[in-house]
Amino acid sequence: MLSRILVPMDNSEHASHALEYALENHPEADVTVLNVVGVPSMMMGEAVGLSLENDLDEAAAEHAEPVFERAREIADERGREIDEIVGVGHPARNILDRAEDYDTIVLGAHGEDWKRATRRFLVGNITETVSKRAPVPVIVVH
Amino acid sequence: MVETLLAIGIVASIFVGFNIGGSSTGIAWGPPVGAGIVKKTTAAALMTFFVFLGGWTVGRNVMDTLSEGIITIDLTLTAGVAVLFFIGLGILIANIFGVPVPTSMTTVGAIAGLGLATDTLNYATIAEIVSWWVVTPIIGFWIGGIIGRYIYPEVNRRVQIEKSDGPLLTLDRDGTLPKPTFGPNTTWAELGTTVVVLVIGCYMAFSAGASNVPNAAAPLVGGVGGLPDDTAIIIATLAIGLGGFTIARRTMESVGGELSDIPLLAALFVMLTASTITTLLSWIGIPISLVMATVMTIVGIGWGRATRPITFREAVTRDTGEPEIVPGAITAEEMEGKPAAPIGEEEPEEVLKAGDLFNPRAIMKYISMWIIGPSVSTILAYGFFILIPGVA
Repeated sequence: MLSRILVPMDNSEHASHALEYALENHPEADVTVLNVVGVPSMMMGEAVGLSLENDLDEAAAEHAEPVFERAREIADERGREIDEIVGVGHPARNILDRAEDYDTIVLGAHGEDWKRATRRFLVGNITETVSKRAPVPVIVVH
Repeated sequence: MVETLLAIGIVASIFVGFNIGGSSTGIAWGPPVGAGIVKKTTAAALMTFFVFLGGWTVGRNVMDTLSEGIITIDLTLTAGVAVLFFIGLGILIANIFGVPVPTSMTTVGAIAGLGLATDTLNYATIAEIVSWWVVTPIIGFWIGGIIGRYIYPEVNRRVQIEKSDGPLLTLDRDGTLPKPTFGPNTTWAELGTTVVVLVIGCYMAFSAGASNVPNAAAPLVGGVGGLPDDTAIIIATLAIGLGGFTIARRTMESVGGELSDIPLLAALFVMLTASTITTLLSWIGIPISLVMATVMTIVGIGWGRATRPITFREAVTRDTGEPEIVPGAITAEEMEGKPAAPIGEEEPEEVLKAGDLFNPRAIMKYISMWIIGPSVSTILAYGFFILIPGVA
């Protein structure tokens, strides 16, 4: 019985599928959605923008809101509630640092912009890294 | 024969200039356009003029390095056209795969490959250039760091960048002579900031011209049948301008859009620093990538701000690789529900988290891009000129 599930999400279609899968297959579990903001990018715009904010927590929450909004919609449709966590910086590191606290991680096969070489080069293949290094079982949803 | 070759060279040069125009206009004018201070067309027009000015003056020093400094003989027209194709290839790869390829560094790499193949490489010059390439990102990062840590927070407290609705200036036609007056909502502060933003954008355009015009122009000027310097500079400028008026509309949104995640004031500091570094290096004839100077300054500012409340020594020596062992690290879960710290008080949790935005490994990956680009172009050009010796 899986009681605590971490679902790392971004704006991608696959991330939505991952959440849908987690909610539908584990009706009793506590589902936590993690969104990482300020991910490294070509000009480091978002990361530096966030670092210059006076209140990082507030700014990060604001950046993550669209993803959580979508996650809440998906959960509402199924009459479920989700917990929300915002992380900053490197996605895979954020996921792995929190993995210990959960029974499993459910994530999408590809994140947003996964076709873009710059992003893949800078942050790597997140799903692959998490699958390889996570201390708990990982479910990859297509 | 020479005419055909020259024609091919000009077409290649226009392709290179066109793409440079797209990317550097995005960097120089993305932030002001994003902030609604300048229109895209105005930006492109200012870009073209100041690129020309930069290429015509300071850019000549870089042109000399490219055409007769890196190799001990003059770059021939044939070899120059081949070099242009390698620069174009780098740009093509950048466009297709979306990876940034620093044009100035690709150019030097291609010419160095030619030098290696023909045994005419001027090792002293190339060593000087490469040393500057190593030092420049470090300088950019530290200047950015100082700005982010000490200068930006102070200036940000005092200066408010304003943009009111309505035109900035209107013409007052009541008198006998029409005279400009403030628009409906314009204040002196807004007029002042607009002027500052324009001046800094033009400065960045100038530095883009100084560093980038030579990439498109230098390969055409060499040897028998080559173009005069002035003509090559004008062709390169027109191509850059064309890129500025066309594809830059998109790059001002992509590159510039990302830059506009940064507050305009910080972006202005970045532009000022990166332009100064680029202009000074171009002045002493060192080809340098404007993008490299820009990115390192941006990262420096962010890092400087993110590490502000810890001491300088801690910021440099602490091991950022493993967040668990950072003293006092607080995970996001523990921070939930924490009361907002009063203004002016240290906010240690927030700052420790902000440090996570600058993963040293991500920064290393950045730096590797600037090593891979010129290395690949050197190797490719070397192979080409070895296999087809007649070209050089």
